Amino acid sequence: MATAAGTLAAPAVQAPSGIWAWLTTVDHKRIGTLYGVSGMVFFVVAGIEALLIRSQLAVPNGEVVDADLFNALFSMHALTMIFLGVMPLGAAFFNWLVPLMIGARDVAFPRLNALSYWIFLSGALMLNASWLLGGAPDTGWFAYAPLTENTYSTGRSMDFYTVSLIILGTSSLIASLNFIVTIINLRAPGMTMFRLPVFVWMTMIVAWLLVLSLPVLTVGLIQLYFDRNFTTNFFIPDGGGDPVLWQHIFWIFGHPEVYVLILPAMGIVSEVLPTFSRKPLFGYGAVVFAGISIAILGFAVWSHHMFTTGLGPVPRVVFSATTMTIAVPTGVKIFNWLGTLYGGSIRFTTAMYFAVGFIATFTVGGISGVMHASPPIDTQQQDTYFIVAHLHYVLFGGAIMGIFAGVYYWFPKFTGRFLSEGMGKLHFWLFFIGLNVTFFPMHFLGVSGMPRRIYTYDAGLGWETWNFVATLGAFTIAAGMAVFLWNFFRSMREEPSAPDNPWDAPTLEWATSSPPPEHDFDVVPVVRARDPVWYDRDHGIAPPEPDPHEHIHLPPPSYYPLLIGVGFTLIGIGALSHLALVALGAVVVIYGIWGWTLEPTGAEPAAGGH
Amino acid sequence: MSAEGGHAAGSHERSHPTVRQYVLIGLLLTVITIVELAASYTPGLGVLLIPILMVLSGIKFVIVVAYFMHLRFEKALLTRLFVFGFVLAGAILISLLALFWGDPAVINR
Amino acid sequence: MAQAAHAAEAPHSSTGIDSRKVLMWIFLASECLFFGSLIATYLVFKGDIPLPAPGFIEAHMHDGVVTGWFPTDRVVDGVEYAGVLNIPVTSASTFVLLMSSVAMVLAVYGAQNGRLKMMKIWLLATLLLGIIFLGFQVFEFHEFGAEGLNLATNQFGASFFVLTGFHGAHVTVGVLMLGSMLLASMRRTGLGPEAGFHVETIGLYWHFVDIVWIVIFTVVYLVPA
Repeated sequence: MATAAGTLAAPAVQAPSGIWAWLTTVDHKRIGTLYGVSGMVFFVVAGIEALLIRSQLAVPNGEVVDADLFNALFSMHALTMIFLGVMPLGAAFFNWLVPLMIGARDVAFPRLNALSYWIFLSGALMLNASWLLGGAPDTGWFAYAPLTENTYSTGRSMDFYTVSLIILGTSSLIASLNFIVTIINLRAPGMTMFRLPVFVWMTMIVAWLLVLSLPVLTVGLIQLYFDRNFTTNFFIPDGGGDPVLWQHIFWIFGHPEVYVLILPAMGIVSEVLPTFSRKPLFGYGAVVFAGISIAILGFAVWSHHMFTTGLGPVPRVVFSATTMTIAVPTGVKIFNWLGTLYGGSIRFTTAMYFAVGFIATFTVGGISGVMHASPPIDTQQQDTYFIVAHLHYVLFGGAIMGIFAGVYYWFPKFTGRFLSEGMGKLHFWLFFIGLNVTFFPMHFLGVSGMPRRIYTYDAGLGWETWNFVATLGAFTIAAGMAVFLWNFFRSMREEPSAPDNPWDAPTLEWATSSPPPEHDFDVVPVVRARDPVWYDRDHGIAPPEPDPHEHIHLPPPSYYPLLIGVGFTLIGIGALSHLALVALGAVVVIYGIWGWTLEPTGAEPAAGGH
Repeated sequence: MSAEGGHAAGSHERSHPTVRQYVLIGLLLTVITIVELAASYTPGLGVLLIPILMVLSGIKFVIVVAYFMHLRFEKALLTRLFVFGFVLAGAILISLLALFWGDPAVINR
Repeated sequence: MAQAAHAAEAPHSSTGIDSRKVLMWIFLASECLFFGSLIATYLVFKGDIPLPAPGFIEAHMHDGVVTGWFPTDRVVDGVEYAGVLNIPVTSASTFVLLMSSVAMVLAVYGAQNGRLKMMKIWLLATLLLGIIFLGFQVFEFHEFGAEGLNLATNQFGASFFVLTGFHGAHVTVGVLMLGSMLLASMRRTGLGPEAGFHVETIGLYWHFVDIVWIVIFTVVYLVPA
């Protein structure tokens, strides 16, 4: 490579530019951006669906939407938020941060990383295409049988559900395998497992949860697809099937999925709090082991979603006990965060606002969760708005607040620009007030008996006031999101001005420039302690000088991930229309894998990669 | 690393089985399969049959994983990764079956 | 592949294990859950097969014996049912798959010890044995269909066909990978300097498919109802 003295070697292959550069990118930072932008777009889409739901319910006998559309709206709101909003936003942070935080120059399998994004996009578009092609899924995100079977769901909506969820699951599986291997194998010298930032630990735990729970969902979806298309009767009682089996299969996946949504936020908060308290995370080991315990226990609690299905006394006691046990590691984390704040020299930036807000609202959701760990209480609360209140405190007050803490915290690192702190704080207050005004009254609605998923209600049931208040809250949240988007676009028009480490943060991503160069680090850092940037600062260790003769090898761009993604799309479309298309898609996938395997990556000593 | 790898830590290549050993292992697997078959055709084993079959197929499983898949000669990390998934799958399967088979209300549905 | 992570030095790996091998083992851990769920479904329905409707008995009565409903022979209410499962034939196909594992391990041995002819011969043997196994499965499915058992017949049919069908799909993917590997080894450059590694990694997948069959053979075919 042409290496001028004092400068680093340029990548071996001329980088493509424009749209082609994005379509063929294998750079974890660009893929992170793709995930982030897609996630935000779908977050807004799901938010609009929520506003329609709240508008319909604002007054008794509302007429904004009809019953069928309402069913589709709440189902798609959940599916979009979970699979197309929160999960890709989490993936955006994983992609951007994991290699930077462990001192690597990319993930272990850069092309697989691109592949998982393209498959995600394919599944996301397919799920939303159902709106235009015969109706969106309208049976809730949990899709309880037999409502999902041909007798009751006569259109293609549930086939869109099964096919696009299998595709999205494939994407998550590939991405998760990639991140586990990256964290296990690509750590910089000195970065032992117990020096990993907590965010990286949480990423690995999330990846493990997905790797071990997605196959179970895939089996359920395959069985449902077979029920609907190939005459089986897995979940059809009339044919000897068992709808409760679907519930088991779904929640064996579904409960770990809940932790998939919340653990990234916990990881983000565990990075933001120490930085702005100017002290290390209190009880690092406890936080990590609490995360691992939550993950393992998360596989042992699924039947608490099914207390009302007649499990019998022994299973109820067992699952009630395991569910309550999960509160312990969760509580450990909350106390550790508080311990981090305690005695800290606190700076109240917007990111810190969101992180502290996260602790408060997540705790509310956690406590109401312990309440319905008790079967008798759960029997009262099942399918009422109390559950809606609980899950939104955990997912909005938890996951979304955590994600926005991360957005404000890492925005300078991602873009080289700052988001406005003033508008950020306005955004925070609109979100914080909005979410409490929206979701707290739902506790009252639930206790006074309002069922979930009803599209309207009569006057005089005592639900008018709180429904109207909740709707006001929802629009407050929307206003907060508008402020954020304005802040974002305003900031992106500005000149980059962020220094390498604007917050004086301790982790490795702040040891490189903002935004980082394509190769992440001029010199692969050597890690001497947890919180490596603070350690080097306190011990007067200067950053290492780049070696002018080092050839930094970066993987060349590749269009095979996109091609294989197209193959997956064809398979999906085929599964929804004509099986011949499935065969065509399979041929494209096989051709893509061959080309991928034979594609020179220039890596010594030999081509690698699957 | 040597502490972690145990006996496999020394010469990686030397410890792999030879062709002869691979063929013998294949023979052993065949013999176990024949014993399984014989057991399933033997009347009078009663409740013992299922544990016998499970132990025998468990032995086959372990032999293939340890020798054919070389897990015995790899670092312990790979074993831990795989066993974690396998044990979890087994635990979920057993608890699911317990939920369906253990509860009279479900059995009599 | 660690291709991005290293400069000119040896491939970077914090654990000393090749990343591709780590990925394969975690994927196999994930597959345990996939087949575990299918087997669980099979077992949940196994003890719970109702009697067929009179119409089914009429349509599938041959020489006084009803076919295509229960996995094993039994007599209920004076009606004689012939078990669907054909243990001798499946034992033969089980033996074929077991031998394919032996062949696979010999191919890996050849690849790792630079004996390329040995590698190619045993890759071909593995491939052929895999295809024979699939042939057995096609024969089996066809026979069962002829006896009256299909996806819609009862829960045994549904869970049996989906479980063994998805196992067969995995074998098919393995056959495709073995075929690709064999084709690639015919090139002038062969499989390159990492031939042993590539064959070993595909071998991991192949052996895993074999051990899944070990479990299926025991649980579905040998354990009585």
